[in-house]
Amino acid sequence: MIDPAVYKRYRVTIGIECHVQLKTKTKLFAAVNNDAREASPNTLVSHICFGLPGALPVLNEAAIELAVRAAFALNSRPQTFSKFDRKHYFYPDLPMGYQITQYDEPIITEGSVNIEVNGQTKKIGITRAHLEADAGKTTHPAGADYSLVDLNRAGTPLLEIVSEPDMHTSLEAKAYARELYLTMRYADVSDANLYYGNMRFDVNVSVSDSDELGTRTETKNLNSFRSVERAVEYEIDRQIELIEKGKRVVQETRGWDEAKQKTISQRNKENADDYRYMPDPDLPPVVLDDNYIEKIKKAMPVLPCEWRRRLVSLGLDSSQIEILLEAEVEDGQVNYLSLIETLLDQPEVARQAANWQINVEIPLRREEQLPSVYSNNERLGLYKWLYKAFKEGRMNSNQAHQLLQLALRESAMPSDIQKYAESRGLLQESNESAILEIVTTVLQENPKAATDVKDGEMKAIGFLVGQVMKKSSGKANPVVAQDLIKRQLGL
Amino acid sequence: MAKLTREDVLKLAQLARLELTDEEIEEYRSELTAILGYVEQLQSVDIGGLRPTNQVTGLTNVMRADEVVDYGYRPLDLLKNVPDVQDDHIKVKRIIA
Repeated sequence: MIDPAVYKRYRVTIGIECHVQLKTKTKLFAAVNNDAREASPNTLVSHICFGLPGALPVLNEAAIELAVRAAFALNSRPQTFSKFDRKHYFYPDLPMGYQITQYDEPIITEGSVNIEVNGQTKKIGITRAHLEADAGKTTHPAGADYSLVDLNRAGTPLLEIVSEPDMHTSLEAKAYARELYLTMRYADVSDANLYYGNMRFDVNVSVSDSDELGTRTETKNLNSFRSVERAVEYEIDRQIELIEKGKRVVQETRGWDEAKQKTISQRNKENADDYRYMPDPDLPPVVLDDNYIEKIKKAMPVLPCEWRRRLVSLGLDSSQIEILLEAEVEDGQVNYLSLIETLLDQPEVARQAANWQINVEIPLRREEQLPSVYSNNERLGLYKWLYKAFKEGRMNSNQAHQLLQLALRESAMPSDIQKYAESRGLLQESNESAILEIVTTVLQENPKAATDVKDGEMKAIGFLVGQVMKKSSGKANPVVAQDLIKRQLGL
Repeated sequence: MAKLTREDVLKLAQLARLELTDEEIEEYRSELTAILGYVEQLQSVDIGGLRPTNQVTGLTNVMRADEVVDYGYRPLDLLKNVPDVQDDHIKVKRIIA
């Protein structure tokens, strides 16, 4: 542990590069299926992926469209001119001997992402984002003197998003990674499935106790927000300790050991100059006209920042909003936000439905596999009925929760929900004559409390209502009960 | 221009994964220096803000639809060109200790 006083003397600077896998059907330059998740090795490959002599890469138009969408999602606009370059290095997962990427004229050259940390909004600048082809996958069987290469992933389209060094704490780094994830998901640019490595983060960290920037290290291939946060924390501590001991930080590439929760040196073989970038003569440049760009802009889906604005207007707090935003993309099949959106012109219903989703449906779906037989309309009908029954005092809050849980588990249809609720005893008794019977009994059994209430000690009325509730097994409507007690006592 | 050093040539050879004999190193020192000298001459010409020519075809936006195409062979057959195969993987010298 570093002494907080020592810690305070250092300024931390963090920049993040993120590789986002674009959700195309085929690869960036080969018309080969892109979904390598469950495929057998080397079955999603072609002469282009293998880099055979004479193979001609042809650009996938869907990748360009997704990059344009990404530009708008990053508060930017795509460049009207961009081109592809070759980045040369030798590695067994790169059969061509070069990676096709965009060097000096990428499709995105600026942008920003807003993050929120400790209630403060902060703008993180985007330096650039470029398209490039992924490499293959290597495995290293334990004890063997060889490695194995699978080229299914080779050529998968990636968008590498490079941030400005605008972050200064591990929390900001984590918030940025998460916001980028949500943004890419909502913009429908990427499936952004972290488990399958659809998003990989490289974090550049340096510390300095002077005005000059310190020497930075790059920790590569982090695949969760948590590991981004932990790797940054680890690097800050490691670098400060080195400097405090009078040693120097070495500029290098490091890897993250998830099991040991530490970064490990992976010495770089080549410098940037050694990549010998050159324009790829096989790939003519991409020129986008304004009509094309505007058409995509108009079709942009609602992004997290806009959802936040709408949800705040319903009076939801930030932690509730973030739960909804995450659940929406993680539960795949279930639409929480569009249900709320349908109700935006009835804010009170929308707010109540949001609360029920946050407190009942989302936790339930995380714990249990629920049958997914509802259409969006049916689920909406269920929530609307629930709201009405609650509002009219036919159910209390507890009964509404229980009913919603049961209904979701058993797929109760909105058309039958009244009977369904009745049969499970989840409706409140508002019928005055039924409650009056209980009230009369309770008043007879508790003469002292009754007198107290009569004498103006209104605290005692709560006790009497409680007794009525108890006798009715929680089904009596407490408002009606209280009203009847007062009337019976002539108040 | 000053003649390339032995180290310069060895660095280039290493990046290109070429093994050179002492004789070849000396040969390339001269040849590469001459090539670079020629490029240096070209660089002295004033081209007044002209965009670099990366392509001469004049083509732009050569793209294809995002659809799988049957290239007419079994993907696994590509492994027949590979020097060493194991379990449908390309087998290479170990790259991580």
